[in-house]
Amino acid sequence: MAQQRTAVWEADLDEDFHDVDLNLAIGSYGQNGHYDDAQPRIDEATLIAVQQQVAQQAALAQVPDPVKRFIVHFHQAVLENNLSEISVAYESGWNRLTEKFYAKTEWPEAEVIAPLVNDDQIFLILYRELYYRHVYSRIQPDVDDRFHSYENSCELFNYLLNSDGPVPLELPEQWLWDIIDEFIYQFQSFCVWRSKVKSKSEEELVLLADSSQAWSSYSVLNVLYSLIQKSKINEHIIALQEGKSQEEIAAIVGEYGTRPLYRMLGYFSVIGLLRVHSLLGDFTLALKVMENVELNQKSPFTRVTACHVTTYYYVGFCYLMLRRYPDAIRTFVSVLNFILRMRQYHTRSYQYDQINKTADRMYALFAICTALFPTRVDDNISNVVKERYGEQIGKMSRGDEGIPAFEELFLYACPKFISANPPPYEDPELLQSYVEMSVTEPAQRHLSLFLSDVHAQVPVPTLRSFLKLYTSLNATKLANFLDADEEEMVQQLMVMKQASRRTSRVDNGGKGLLAGETISTSDLDFVIDENMVHIAESTVGRRYAGWFIRNTEHAQRVLDTLKNSPLPVAPKPAQSAQPKADAAAPAAGAPKPAGQKVAWGGVKVA
Amino acid sequence: MSSASAWETPSTRTELIENLVSGVDRYNPSNVGILEDYLYHQIRSEEYDCLANLAILKLYQFNPDLYNPDVVINILVKALTALPFPDFNLCISLLDERPVASNPDEPDPLPSLLPVLQSLHNLLQQCRFPAFWALYRSEDAEPLRDNYTIEVAGFENAIREVVVRAVKAAFQRISSQRLSTYLDFSDEELPTFVEALGWTIDASTGVVSIPPNADNQIESTVVQETIQLPQLVKVIAHAQAS
Repeated sequence: MAQQRTAVWEADLDEDFHDVDLNLAIGSYGQNGHYDDAQPRIDEATLIAVQQQVAQQAALAQVPDPVKRFIVHFHQAVLENNLSEISVAYESGWNRLTEKFYAKTEWPEAEVIAPLVNDDQIFLILYRELYYRHVYSRIQPDVDDRFHSYENSCELFNYLLNSDGPVPLELPEQWLWDIIDEFIYQFQSFCVWRSKVKSKSEEELVLLADSSQAWSSYSVLNVLYSLIQKSKINEHIIALQEGKSQEEIAAIVGEYGTRPLYRMLGYFSVIGLLRVHSLLGDFTLALKVMENVELNQKSPFTRVTACHVTTYYYVGFCYLMLRRYPDAIRTFVSVLNFILRMRQYHTRSYQYDQINKTADRMYALFAICTALFPTRVDDNISNVVKERYGEQIGKMSRGDEGIPAFEELFLYACPKFISANPPPYEDPELLQSYVEMSVTEPAQRHLSLFLSDVHAQVPVPTLRSFLKLYTSLNATKLANFLDADEEEMVQQLMVMKQASRRTSRVDNGGKGLLAGETISTSDLDFVIDENMVHIAESTVGRRYAGWFIRNTEHAQRVLDTLKNSPLPVAPKPAQSAQPKADAAAPAAGAPKPAGQKVAWGGVKVA
Repeated sequence: MSSASAWETPSTRTELIENLVSGVDRYNPSNVGILEDYLYHQIRSEEYDCLANLAILKLYQFNPDLYNPDVVINILVKALTALPFPDFNLCISLLDERPVASNPDEPDPLPSLLPVLQSLHNLLQQCRFPAFWALYRSEDAEPLRDNYTIEVAGFENAIREVVVRAVKAAFQRISSQRLSTYLDFSDEELPTFVEALGWTIDASTGVVSIPPNADNQIESTVVQETIQLPQLVKVIAHAQAS
């Protein structure tokens, strides 16, 4: 069934790939005639080709020797599928040379370095993947870069998906994640750039009018769905959850899914879908595509930290947009604690900055959630939030005055929304009217929808602060205090009641991220009996267990470390003590570096 | 409506629709007709399937040629009745800005009706039920009533369901006068409706009593910490080992 379904879309995908002008991307190197003195007539095309070749040789001569050596070495590692060497080249070599030689300029073009790698087309595709990523991150990509990076991505995915059988390539997981991540980033970047009609030059307008297929939403989704289906990743995850053996899983996922390259690309594509759907404003579908993925830190797919953090960011944001604040809060707390713990291991990574930025946005979203849904939350996280966004939190609890604070945090922390369709570049008249009508940016549209919800809840904090003072109170009297119309105030009380009830995932509430039950978590509850408001407040006793458990464990670790350290001086009688201490060590479960064991100890508030 | 699974997969959804909603076929423009028919089926039979309707909007988002304003308006009308769940805004999220098609023969009714729908939604969301009915019965909403909601079977009662959800969570007893303004009923209509819900009306005082439910019972509690064994596993294991 699934196979039949794909057929339609694979057909489309093929078409997309056929559109790509291979010559354009591969370049003319090595395809055209050689320079030859004896050739009687040199036609113009040959002449240009020769000139190009000469120019490229000159360009290659300009490439610094360390870079040349690096490329040759890198190529060799890829040829041998030597993962550790590839990782070194990918994670440190490339970045080091970028800092040294290409901090503000492009790397040499693929055509220029082609002779170094025997014109290996696959390596050149990978090289271009890095080349364009560098252009996007360090230099402003121009219109050609945008189209060419799309073509290169298509070639890469075409190679992976439409070769005869799985390709024999192996790449580090981090790189595979970066490929998907960058593909979506470039798609999003293209959409934003495309939507700004006014700043386009004549040439760009022509290009955009001709090529409505490049970076289309359908083509991006096609790639992601094709990778998911080829790798059978959803079947794989389900089989893992059912506790199937390695052999059974291998039989289920087939020749593609057993290869790490396809398996990881498949998983990253699921996360990619989550992200693309979020960017397009379809928060329900974004969570629905994740229905097989279990959010926990033990899954074999969470080794790439950047992927892990991205997943939680988008899931949390989708929950926020589905107004499921308790779920959003839980999601953010879980990953922010993870990031806090990870910090001690992870400072070297070049993604560290990126992760920190995402974390900061999640703190902002967390602040929004707790403002709309006051609840007891994790102390670690709420302390950081108070430190960073204390001012905004203060404002957000002040009714209408607080709206700008919500706005500020939302715009800072939301994903870079895009609209699915380009402005009508192909029709100059429509385009003109498009320019004239003031189009709201996607982020502004989602902001205003979100604010409409915030607005509905505006009276809640004030009501809450009054109700907290009483156990029962006449509605007329309350209205007087608030200087409000009694009927309106009673209606606001109903809003308050509804705001304290939210859908939330519960432990056995079914599978998937959309599952959930209505829960009440406000500590302040009330009910209206005719015109009398009765109020009940729940209090939470102080929690000690987490603190004591953490510190007991810490003390145990300290003790283990002490026991295992060699005694300073070894006078004779002490010798008998030494082996004893050694013997204690393995029994105590091999002391690990401090910090590692705290991993489970966040002690969630139930 | 306490469980999200009924929202995610309503029992009335057929297998055909389920396959469309959950599979990649949802992107296939040629399936839009099936989903649109299903929407009209929902409208006639007082059913509601948010995810299927979002799938229609998704197809419109990707294929602007398919766009059918009547369908969009009907989806939004149905979504109004889902409050306090955010379906209405989830639907609006998928409506991208579009250049106004300048076809004078068939003017697009959405731009003029959208503000009305959004106002209605805001009032309902803020539990300002009397104001909702006033706007709904006003001249501004006439095109909406005459061309759309009249076709939606049980629309007004579905809105009253929204009211009932809000009232029964917040009230133990409510005066029938207040309740009538929320439900837009005359004094004669109210008793029948209220009794059908299982609520009782005191004939002498006109006060309606609402049976206890999870939300209108309040209790002050002190939540005490409970320590689960797994939390202590490491400490105990360590103690045993050393």
